[in-house]
Amino acid sequence: MNEVSRDIVQFLKSRGFLDGKNSLNEHESLTETGVIDSIGLLQLIDYLESRYKIEIPMEIITPENFDTLSGISQSVTNLKK
Amino acid sequence: MATDTVICKNCALDSKTPGITINANTGLCQFCEHFTPLSREKKEEYRAQMDTLFASPPKHRGTYDVIMALSGGVDSSYALYRLKEEYPHLRILAVQFDNGFISDTAFENAQKFCELTKSTYFRLVLDNNLLRDTFKKASRSMDAFPGFAKYRASDMCNTCMSIIKQKIVEMAIQTKTPFIVFAFSPGQTEIPFVTLTKPFMVWIRKLFDGQLKTMGVNERNLYLMDEDIISSTPPETEIMIIHPFLVWGYDKQQFKKECIRLGWTEPDLHDPNSSNCLLNAYAIKNHYDKYHIHSYAYDLSALIRQGNLKREEALKTLHTGFSDEAIREVQRKLNPE
Repeated sequence: MNEVSRDIVQFLKSRGFLDGKNSLNEHESLTETGVIDSIGLLQLIDYLESRYKIEIPMEIITPENFDTLSGISQSVTNLKK
Repeated sequence: MATDTVICKNCALDSKTPGITINANTGLCQFCEHFTPLSREKKEEYRAQMDTLFASPPKHRGTYDVIMALSGGVDSSYALYRLKEEYPHLRILAVQFDNGFISDTAFENAQKFCELTKSTYFRLVLDNNLLRDTFKKASRSMDAFPGFAKYRASDMCNTCMSIIKQKIVEMAIQTKTPFIVFAFSPGQTEIPFVTLTKPFMVWIRKLFDGQLKTMGVNERNLYLMDEDIISSTPPETEIMIIHPFLVWGYDKQQFKKECIRLGWTEPDLHDPNSSNCLLNAYAIKNHYDKYHIHSYAYDLSALIRQGNLKREEALKTLHTGFSDEAIREVQRKLNPE
């Protein structure tokens, strides 16, 4: 798990999103497994923008890019470049 | 409350609530420990952004500049009034969702504030029998909404609010309205501006569809954005949701005074958390019975953290009981047999 994924898990844990879960699979759907909903997703985006000083364009917020740890982590890494 | 229950020394969350941990050394819950107040620069940036957006809404799009979700309660009545005071040129369509449990006083308040602000009033009505059945299913469901959503609101209120959002976004697409305003408190949301793109609309529709399915709701299309309307929307369509209380600040007591001065009437709901909906007290009790979470504890605690509410006031609100009569009335409506 890379640094961005670890940060996301830490954020989700600290904000009560994991509901007792201790770990997350990198390729598991965060919405289908009941970790986040659309509002939770927006909170996560807000956190990532401030943590990595990036702007995440809304057009890339799609299930393909933002529904798994690996997808989000890849999107953030691309935006950091 | 059990003797070993520890209340966060800064807010109103306690160790009895599932998922809340109080640090034995600091006496703080995890939310207070990670809290960073909004800087003055950020507040000014938000203010400038809202002024810019409302100063010149996109021209020649549709009949309205803003669709405002108006419940007839204090927050949304005040927000509508202030929005029009600060940006008098805005053409506002105020939508009040009739969920079957709105007090007559709230309907009167909503219409009164629309007249006062020269806004267009629209009452959104859906099939009341189906709605009652859906609320009943929400009350019986477990884990239809994700973990954190359970802190944000009760399952019944999350269902109701999701329906309103879906239908208002649909209306904004149909009427080509660029902005939607929700009078959420800074405890209910942390993000002042949300841009909805077409793929994101499709996604939030799919998420709510899944939540309704988990509850066992069959007539889901009634509550979801119309699929044809979304698919016929140009790909570049964007609608912005604005939460003005994150820009203006939030002082419920002052808002209430101002609303009363303007002619707003307090309904007789026996519920310290709602000034419009009869369902609220029942929904809080139902949520607490299912998850041991008071659905206003997180909201009020966030307001304390931000300096918008005194801790004592929040604790008093959270420990005020509900009238049995109000709860029985909802029970009767949900189970008419």
